[in-house]
Amino acid sequence: MGKKKILVVDDSRTALFMVTTILRKERYELVTASDGEQALEMAASERPDLILMDVIMPRKTGFEACRELKRREDTRAIPVILVTTRGEGENVEAGFQSGCNDYVTKPINALELLTKVREHMGAR
Amino acid sequence: MKETRPARPDHGAYVRKVQEDTQSFAQGLIGEVERLRVQVAALESEKAALAAQAREIETMVRANDALRAQIEGIKAETQAYSSRYAAVEQQNSNLANLYVASYRLHGTLDRSEVIAAIREIIANLVGSEEAALFEIDSDTKTLELVDAFGVDRDQCRSIPLGNGLIGLTARTGEILVVDPSQASGATGLESRLTACVPLKLDDTVTGVIAIFGLLPQKGGIEDLDRELFDLLATQAAFALYCTGLHAKVALEIERRW
Repeated sequence: MGKKKILVVDDSRTALFMVTTILRKERYELVTASDGEQALEMAASERPDLILMDVIMPRKTGFEACRELKRREDTRAIPVILVTTRGEGENVEAGFQSGCNDYVTKPINALELLTKVREHMGAR
Repeated sequence: MKETRPARPDHGAYVRKVQEDTQSFAQGLIGEVERLRVQVAALESEKAALAAQAREIETMVRANDALRAQIEGIKAETQAYSSRYAAVEQQNSNLANLYVASYRLHGTLDRSEVIAAIREIIANLVGSEEAALFEIDSDTKTLELVDAFGVDRDQCRSIPLGNGLIGLTARTGEILVVDPSQASGATGLESRLTACVPLKLDDTVTGVIAIFGLLPQKGGIEDLDRELFDLLATQAAFALYCTGLHAKVALEIERRW
């Protein structure tokens, strides 16, 4: 069985590097994008098994990109985990309304991230 | 006339009858004793079998107890391994944080990139969207604002050394973490201060990173944050210093050629 593929989306190079460092040791195949628009393109071309996406990004926010992903037939089934700086109810609700499957808050806790990634990868 | 004598009872027949009855009774008794002996033997054998079975059950109970104790031991061991695994994972995660911070700070010789990296480390690894970076102006003996996000720049453009918590950090060269349970006595912007990290080259303070409010989900400053502060104190100072040197060298080369 081939490696499972994760698309990591963040405009912050530090955040991107942090997440890929955590996930790489789990032997996932990682592809990255730096904004919401690029995430949509890569989701269609790379067909990842999971998308981990920041909320605040240029061109298209994580919420907008997630909504678009869930609207499209070819990307609808891909689980999306949003990375948010704000873990309050309102923000979380907006995330779930956009169609995301789960969320993690910054600063990212590696154990929490790995648990959620494994959980959503296991479902596929 | 012949005298008739009454018939004498036949004692012999009676004795024989008694003898026969006694014999028969004795035979019966012997048979009964034999039957009882066989029954006793069977019961004895059954008793021995039951005793053996009881011993076997006792052995099994002891083995069961031993197994139960072993299972408890394995459970405790598994629990200990799980805790250890979680601790190692956490340590890996902490190291990953430090590695990422260090890599980002030294991955460029562009000053603006280093400043952006400091900003991103504070936002993504420490968990604050309110911070300011100062460098010391040795001529004016002040901390001059280099970069700020999430705070009003006008409130902290220039801070005299030794003035307030930020100025004090520049003077002492010690990392300051404000205890939220104790009143710091700070006013203005400093009333929201969470930590102050002096930037140090060898033992010389070159600047200060002031971190104000933390993200709502971040409970407070943790051990990992203190390690990140230690790393920032030296590595951010060194990275900024290198960009300065690089810029000077680049300028010199341009001037000569």
